[in-house]
Amino acid sequence: MRVPYNWLKEYVDFDLPPLELADRLTMAGLEVGAVEPWGELFSGVVVGRILAIEPHPRRERLALVRVDRGGGEEVAVVCGARNIKEGQKVPLALPGARLPGLPKPLEALELGGVLSQGMLCSAQELGLELVQEAEGILILDPGAQPGAPLEEVLDLEDSVLVLELTPNRADCLGLLGVAWEVAALTGGKLKLPPVDPPEVEERVENYARVDVEDPDLCPRYAARVIREVAVAPSPLWMQIRLLKAGIRPINNVVDITNYVMWEFGQPLHAFDYERLEGGRIVVRRAYPGEVTVTLDGKMRELNPEILVIADASKTVALGGVMGAENSEIGPETRTVLLEAALFNPVNIRRTARRLGLPSEASQRFERGVNPESVLEAQGRAALLMSRLAGGEVLQGVIDVYPKPFQRCRIAVRPYRVNEIIGKKIPVEEMVNLLERLGFDVQREPNRTLAVTVPLRRSDIQLEEDIVEEVARLHGYENIPTTLPRGELIECREAPELRLHNLVRDTMAAMGFYEVITYSFINPNLLRRLRIGEDTELARAIPLQNPLSEEQGVMRTTLLPGLLKVLQHNFNHQEYNQLLFELGAVFLPRRLPLEELPDERMTLGLAATGAVTEPNWSGGGRQADFYLVKGVLEALFRKLGLGSVDFRPLESPFLHPTRAAGLFLEGEELGYLGELHPEVATDWDLRQAVIVAELNGELLFSRASLVPRLEPLPRYPASLRDISVVVPREITARELESCIREAGGELVDRITLFDLYEGKQIPPGKRSISFAIAYRSSQGTLTDEEVNQIHGRIQQALFALGATLRT
Amino acid sequence: MLTRLTQLEEEARSAIDSARDMQDLQAVRVRFLGKKGEITALLRSMGQLPPEQRPEFGRRANGLRDLLEQLLGEKEKELKEKEAADRWERERIDVTLPGYPVPLGRKHPLTLVTEDIKEIFTGLGFQVARGPELESDYYNFEALNMPPEHPARDMQDSFYVAPQFLLRTHTSPVQIRTMELLHPRLPVRIIAPGKVYRRDDDATHSPMFHQVEGLAVDRGITLADLKGTLLLFAREMFGPEKRIRLRPSFFPFTEPSAEVDISCINCDGEGCRVCGFTGWLEILGAGMVHPRVLQVCGYDPEDVTGFAFGMGVERIAMLKYGVNDLRLFFSNDLRFLKQFR
Repeated sequence: MRVPYNWLKEYVDFDLPPLELADRLTMAGLEVGAVEPWGELFSGVVVGRILAIEPHPRRERLALVRVDRGGGEEVAVVCGARNIKEGQKVPLALPGARLPGLPKPLEALELGGVLSQGMLCSAQELGLELVQEAEGILILDPGAQPGAPLEEVLDLEDSVLVLELTPNRADCLGLLGVAWEVAALTGGKLKLPPVDPPEVEERVENYARVDVEDPDLCPRYAARVIREVAVAPSPLWMQIRLLKAGIRPINNVVDITNYVMWEFGQPLHAFDYERLEGGRIVVRRAYPGEVTVTLDGKMRELNPEILVIADASKTVALGGVMGAENSEIGPETRTVLLEAALFNPVNIRRTARRLGLPSEASQRFERGVNPESVLEAQGRAALLMSRLAGGEVLQGVIDVYPKPFQRCRIAVRPYRVNEIIGKKIPVEEMVNLLERLGFDVQREPNRTLAVTVPLRRSDIQLEEDIVEEVARLHGYENIPTTLPRGELIECREAPELRLHNLVRDTMAAMGFYEVITYSFINPNLLRRLRIGEDTELARAIPLQNPLSEEQGVMRTTLLPGLLKVLQHNFNHQEYNQLLFELGAVFLPRRLPLEELPDERMTLGLAATGAVTEPNWSGGGRQADFYLVKGVLEALFRKLGLGSVDFRPLESPFLHPTRAAGLFLEGEELGYLGELHPEVATDWDLRQAVIVAELNGELLFSRASLVPRLEPLPRYPASLRDISVVVPREITARELESCIREAGGELVDRITLFDLYEGKQIPPGKRSISFAIAYRSSQGTLTDEEVNQIHGRIQQALFALGATLRT
Repeated sequence: MLTRLTQLEEEARSAIDSARDMQDLQAVRVRFLGKKGEITALLRSMGQLPPEQRPEFGRRANGLRDLLEQLLGEKEKELKEKEAADRWERERIDVTLPGYPVPLGRKHPLTLVTEDIKEIFTGLGFQVARGPELESDYYNFEALNMPPEHPARDMQDSFYVAPQFLLRTHTSPVQIRTMELLHPRLPVRIIAPGKVYRRDDDATHSPMFHQVEGLAVDRGITLADLKGTLLLFAREMFGPEKRIRLRPSFFPFTEPSAEVDISCINCDGEGCRVCGFTGWLEILGAGMVHPRVLQVCGYDPEDVTGFAFGMGVERIAMLKYGVNDLRLFFSNDLRFLKQFR
C-alpha cells in the first residue's frame, strides 16, 4: 500500500515528518518498507500566464508566445503546440531549468531568428503521465499564481510511505485506515471526508434493479446511478495523487472510483448505464463455457466457480476482480451505474489466481473490505462525480444486504491482559488506547471491559487480539524483559538427537566433511544408478508440484546427492574428498501415499582420492574399501555397537566383487562398497569411489553410550603367532571364527597382522598370520596350557583346509 | 726405574690425549692401570730396587697412578660430552618441516549454528524435539489456526506429495506434536531444529532450508518472558552488547505476534549497508501461542499461556559467518566447507 504523505495529512492531524512517521508505524506493526521521495522530476519550472500568442515571423508551424513569468516580468518563448490560449496558466521552464528529458540545463535558444527565453512544457516533458483534454502544453488551474514554482502548485514534492502490510491488516489498504492508526498512535484528530452527495428527486429504483443470486459469494451489493456526467480528464490534483499512489489516471469517472478506493479501501466499479441491458444487475455464477473480454482486452473463459456481474443478457464484470469491455466507461458515457459491493474473499482469491488477474480491487476483496464503509465510499464517489464530472446523483441506493455483519463484542479482563503481557498497564490507559482506535469500550461491573470493535478491524475477535492492540500501542519496547520461571522439564534432548551429534562429531574427527543436500532429487538419478524399477529404492515419492524435474521425487537414498557433491568438487579440481551426510530418506509404505512415509535417518559416506595430502614423509594414501570399513568400525566402537557382519553383496551400482552388506545382530544395516566402475564413469568420476549408507534408525536404536565396566585383567597374557596358507575362498572372518571356537574363552584377542599372496604361495591360496593373545582370569597360563590350546587351534584350522606356512 | 716412571708418564699423557672415544680410553686405562698394565708391572718389579730407594719409588709410582686416574677421568668426561654432542647433532631435525597430515573433517556450518542455538536454549532448560519433514495438512496448517482456505496454504508456497500430505513449510508442526505428546504435563519447553521446504528458488530463497522452532507453555508465561528469552539468545549468539527490538506482526498461530530484530552486527545500530541503513536486522518471528492452538492440543488457554518463536538457521549463519550467498550452503563446495571450524 502506497501512502502519499501529504494526502494522508488530509485525514488526520499530526506533525511527524515522513521518516519519523514511518518509524512509528513500523514499531506499531505496520511495516514501512520504504519511504520514497516523490517529485524531484524537474527544477526551474514556474507558472506562466499567456499574455499573447503571435505568429512566428519566419516559421509557419511555430508561434511566438509572450508569457507573464510573475513579478510583472514578461518573456517571449517560441512554441509549436496548438492547444494554448491567451490567459491560460501553463508550465514555463526558464533558462537553467532541468527537465527529465534533457541531459543539460535548458538554455535560451534562437529558433528561426527569434530568441526563445524558455519553454512551455507538456506533461510528458515534465515527466508526468497526466491525461489532458487535448494534446500539447499542460494547462494548469486558472487560479495558479504566475511565477509560483510548479512543484508547489502541483503538490509534487512529497514522500510516499510504502507499507508492507501483514495479511490481518486489510483495514490499512485505505488511507483512512492508516489515518485511524496514526490518530491512535499520536492522539491526533481524525478528519473524515464528506460522503453525502447532493441528490436529485428522481429515484434510483426508476433506473435500475439489482438481483443477487448468490449472497454467499456477494453478501452486499449497493448500486447508485449518476446521470448527466461529462467524461473528461480529472483535475490535476486528483491525477497527481493517483500517480503518487501508483495508479494511472484515465478519466474523471474511473479516477474517482480509484481515488475513493485509495481513501476507503473499498473497490468501486463504474458501469456505463446505457450499456447495461434492461438497467439490470444480476449477480450470479458464470455459466459453464461462458466467455467475456475483460478491461485488459483479454478473452476470459469462465466457469461456475467464478462470480460475475451480469445485466439482463450478458456478463458485464468479473465480480470484485475486473470489469468487462462491453460496459466500460467511455467518452460518450452519460449515465453511470456505480457499484459498491462485498465479495467472498476466498472466491475472489481463487478467481484472481485462476485467471492470473490480480488487481487492486481483488487484492482488497481477498483480504476483506470494511462492510461499514460500503455506502460511505459509494456516497463519497457519487459526491465527487457530481462535483468533478457534473453528474446528477439519483436519489437513494439500491442496497442488497440480506444478512448484515455484526460488530464483534469482546469481554476483556484487564488483569488477564496484563498477565499475558507481563506488565501492569493501568486500566485507564487500556481504555484510552482502545478508544483512540475507534473501539467502543464499556466498563462492566465485574472488572471487565466490554469492547465493541468496528467491522473495519475484522481481525480482532478474541481477548488475545485486544491484548495485542494494547501491547503494540503501549509499545513493545516498553515491555520488560524477564525469563520464564517454573519446574524442571523431564529431559534435555531426544536421545537419538544426541546420537546424531555424536555421529557428526566422530565422522568429522575422522576426516570427513559434512554435506547437506536437497531431500528431493531428479528421479533419473536413480536410473543412472541402475536401480531396478520394482525395488524399494525406486519407489520414490513424487512431488505433485515440483519446481523442476531436478527436484521431482523425495530421495530414497543419499547416494545421488553425495555423488553430485563429488562431481561438483571434481569440477573445481578437488579430487580428494571424504564426505558424509546425515539426513532422512523417505520410504513410502505404499504409493500413492495414504499415510506418512517411513522417514529414515540415514548416514551416507563417500570417499575418493587421497585420504591425506601427499607429504614429504610419504602419505597421500588412497581411500579404498578397507579405509571406509575401518572408519565404520571405529564409529561402531564409538557407538558401543555389537559386532557388525560384512557379507559379500551384489548391488546394481557397486563393484561386483568389492561390496559388502552390513548386518547388525542379523538385521540389515546398510552397504559399503566401491562404486561400480561403469556407474562411476557414467557420473564422470574417473577414479575409485567408496560409498556406504547405513540405516541410522537401526544404528541409533542399538547404540549404547554407557558401558558396564569390566574389571582390568589381573594376570598377564601369553602371545602366540600362527601363520597358515589357505584357499582364497576361505574368508578372514571364517578363520577368525574357527580360532575363537577352537580356543574357547581363553582366547583374549586375535589380531590379523599379515596377509600375503604371491610367488612364494601356490596360486589360488594366500597366507594369513594371526597373533593370538591367551589369557585366563583365574591365573597366569603355563606354557603347557597355552601350547595345548594353540595346538587345538592349529588342528581346527587344518580341518578347514589350512596348512602351516613354512 | 725412576726414569722409566717419567717415561711412562709421558707415554700415558700422550695416549690419553690421543684417545678419540671411550673405547680408546678404556684401552689406555688397561695398558697403564690394568692388572697387567705397565704401572702395575713396574710396581711389581720394585723388589729389584735397593731397599732404601723403594719408598721413594713407591710414592712416585702411586703418584703417577693417581695422576693417570685423574687424567683418565677428565678425558672420559670430555669424551662423553663430545659423544653426546655428536649424538644430538646426528639426531637434529628440522622443526619447521610440516607435520604428518592427520585428516580433519568439519561439520556443516548449518549444523554448527544449529548446535549453537541448541546449546543456548538447552542451557535455559529447553528440551530438543524433532518432527517429520513430510507432514500432514493437519499439523502443518490446520492445527496452527490456518483453516483450509488460508492464503498461506496455497499450492504456490508448498510442495505437496498427496492431497493431504506436504513437505512441512515450517517447524511449527512440532509445536503441536510436542504438546499432544506431553499434554497435560507442564511445563512444555522445547526447541525443534529441522529442515523445511517452500516453493521458492532464487538468489535469496532455497526450496529447502532450516529452521529452529521454540515453544514454552506453562502457567504464567508472558510476552515479557518471550522478550527476555530472546534477548538472552541474541546476546549469547551475537555478543553481550546486542540489543533486540520487537515489532508487532502477524502469524496465524500466535497472538500477539512480533518480528524480532537485533541491533546490526556490522554497525551496531549506526546504519550501514548490511542493515539497509536501519540499524536493525530481522532474525526471527515470535509471539504468544494462539489460544486456538493451545486448545487443539488439549491445554486450556485460561489456565496456561505460552510463547513460540521460529528462526531461519541460514539467516543466522549468514549473519554470524558473513556469508553473503545463501546458495553456498547447499553447494557443499569443499573450498567453502573447509573454512569452518
